[in-house]
Amino acid sequence: MSHNLTSNSLKNRPLKDETKLLDKLFSTVVKFSPKLLIAILILPVLGGLLGVLLPAFGWLPALDKTQFGLQGFQQLVQTPGIAQMISLSFFSSIVSGLLAFVITLLLLANYFDSPWLARIQRLLGPILVIPHAAAAIAIAFLITPSGMIARLLSPWLTGWQSPTDWLLPHDPYGISIIMGLTLKELPFLLLMTLSAIAQPELSIKLRAQYRVALSLGYYPITAFFKAVLPNIYPLMRLPMLAILAYASASVEMPLILGPNTPPTLAVAIMNWFHDVDLSLRIKASAGAILQLFITLSVLFTWWLLEKLSQAISSKSLSNGQRTYGDVFWSKVINIFTLLLIGFIALALLGMVFWSFAGFWNFPLAVPEQWVMVHWQSALLQVQTPIINSLAIGLVATSIALILTLLTLEFEKQNGAQLSHFSSVIIYLPLMIPSIAFLFGLVWLQEAVHSKATFINVALAHLLFVLPYVFLSLATSYRLLDSRYAQVAASLGASPIKIFLQLSLPQLLMPIMMASALGLAISFSQYLPTLLVGGGRLNTVTTEAVSLANGASRRTSAVYALIQMLLPAIAFSLIWLMSMQKNRQKAQVKHNNKTARYITKVNR
Amino acid sequence: MSSSFEINSLQIKSLTIMRQQTPLLSLNETIIGGDVLTIMGPSGSGKSTLLNWLTGMLPKEFQADGQLYLNGENITQVVSYRRNIGLLFQDALLFSHLSVAGNIAFAMPKGDSKTRAIKINQALSDVGLAGLENRQPESLSGGQQARVALLRVLLSQPKAILLDEPFSKLDSQLRQETRQLVFEQIRQHQLPVIMVTHDESDAIAANGKVLHLKTPQQDI
Repeated sequence: MSHNLTSNSLKNRPLKDETKLLDKLFSTVVKFSPKLLIAILILPVLGGLLGVLLPAFGWLPALDKTQFGLQGFQQLVQTPGIAQMISLSFFSSIVSGLLAFVITLLLLANYFDSPWLARIQRLLGPILVIPHAAAAIAIAFLITPSGMIARLLSPWLTGWQSPTDWLLPHDPYGISIIMGLTLKELPFLLLMTLSAIAQPELSIKLRAQYRVALSLGYYPITAFFKAVLPNIYPLMRLPMLAILAYASASVEMPLILGPNTPPTLAVAIMNWFHDVDLSLRIKASAGAILQLFITLSVLFTWWLLEKLSQAISSKSLSNGQRTYGDVFWSKVINIFTLLLIGFIALALLGMVFWSFAGFWNFPLAVPEQWVMVHWQSALLQVQTPIINSLAIGLVATSIALILTLLTLEFEKQNGAQLSHFSSVIIYLPLMIPSIAFLFGLVWLQEAVHSKATFINVALAHLLFVLPYVFLSLATSYRLLDSRYAQVAASLGASPIKIFLQLSLPQLLMPIMMASALGLAISFSQYLPTLLVGGGRLNTVTTEAVSLANGASRRTSAVYALIQMLLPAIAFSLIWLMSMQKNRQKAQVKHNNKTARYITKVNR
Repeated sequence: MSSSFEINSLQIKSLTIMRQQTPLLSLNETIIGGDVLTIMGPSGSGKSTLLNWLTGMLPKEFQADGQLYLNGENITQVVSYRRNIGLLFQDALLFSHLSVAGNIAFAMPKGDSKTRAIKINQALSDVGLAGLENRQPESLSGGQQARVALLRVLLSQPKAILLDEPFSKLDSQLRQETRQLVFEQIRQHQLPVIMVTHDESDAIAANGKVLHLKTPQQDI
């Protein structure tokens, strides 16, 4: 038997030069792809940082400024309201991060061993792919004095017959920003944590230890905090830091929900860069450097908070106390969860209402008149932006997919995971505030006189798409049973044949999932599209953001909904495909069963 | 509150566990403190389902009929964390974020930290682990981990103990020693014990009643 196998595989082994060349080419491509992937991530970020560092210290040849100096920073310090900008950026990110973290823990603690955890996961999951801009618009509509909350509570509770003049959103304390960021960060953190603790071995261990704690008389919430959390926090740290870094420098949320005078630092920097007065670019570059320090100090503050809470709680972990009012807290969390889901549902419902609303007087909760005109007129204008969004998304996602798959194939062929350095690099564009390096990138592209707007924008999107595509595919690729490839190789299949005809089909669903994620990430990009495209390339997201603060609420609602629909369509297609696949599998299983039954009966 | 001279007992009254209307197992037993009831059977015979019922963690797809009495008190509907039934698994399942002493302290009732520390030292030296208080659980050998897990259960002052194949991961020499220690300690504390195992030697060492569960509906 084994003798036969060897002789066969020898016979099938490709001997033609053409195939040999192909194999050689493939092995070269595979060998270089990890380096290319790292280069694509690291060069624009470092180049971009250099591109703001030089102007920040006064070197801007385009304006005939070639003397190094600190005038950019001097201008920055003299900007009225700069302290407020800094504190707004700092506190809105820390507070929203903390809130998202605490809510995630409370949800996990209360529903750790209950079917509700999976249900909440399914409910919050879709929010993950809603672009920040669309989420911000939805929340703005919800909390504004003429929004859904006020309408539902008026006039029977509030007595309002017309909207009050509360400054919501755009409140000077950043409460609206915090709400928006928290609501977007919560699903991200929750789903990242859940997928981390779903690793088979860890999941079994955690559940068993949780049961040990219960059997020792610990109430469920306390059992989670004392026995489970210390073991899963290390897995939450990286997503947590990514959230904080993003929040400290995000532009869409503060632009739509934040105050204008003064705005957050990131928004101010963007305005300075866009000012017709080009000399403001030096101040803007200095601001970008300041933004880096703010992000770093936010991350450092989190680290301090972590150490502090560790020091405070280390004694109480084993003090033997079984409950801290668990029964009461469980009820509170149940009510809170209901309110949270209601809040989100109401935000979405409000947006749908606005997009179809004709006359809609306050305080009626439902429009008096339903019309299609907002959708009709928007659909006429939105075609080019939709095509742009799709084209950019498809290009960026395809490049990301190919690079990721080849890099993972390199890992597999060499039997080693990427070095620690490389796996940190993959997170680089997520950790460094994009406002700090994107301007430098634009400046670099101007410096090399690159006029290819579309490719530039697609490459800028790639920076943000690639990390997510890589993260989402890496686990499945690394879990592939390598014995299939071994069997195929023993049958004479070349590496490229194994890659194309074995690994890729086996990974079809994860690849589709990663593509949908990549598209969703690309659809949601605002700053890279705006800056690198120089305003010449409009996508649904840039349109939605620019409409959010000016145009009618109805048009804005339509754009935000279109923005949500694009990724939703991508994910629904994937979902349908997986359903189809499962059905086929079930069909095969059923057929097998019937066949077995028939053979049994016949026997 | 049970008075000091009352004998501990665990009583399973006319229990039937069903999965989708098919009976899986039926049981009617009383275990007196210090006795071990051994339950044997092939996998799929419902051993772990029985343990899940006893701890109040029966999965949704099972239905159970019958009552559980601990020291005369009906605890059938009591949530698992208020049952006072200790569990010992085949894995030690020590918490890696706590030291050896921390793991045991985790299980002990709240109290003065000095008294707790003295009790922990005493207990550790009783089982030959003196001086290991501040070690991380991972740095202990398998046998040492098993002993810490035993102390953790005993010092939580349970009223009954369930053993879920507690020795199956230990090699034979260690297995005998650990087994002896566990049964000795449990007898000392006069606790009723239910042990699930598929090793005949465990059953012999337990020196108590042995029940054999059969796999239901196997025609061949």
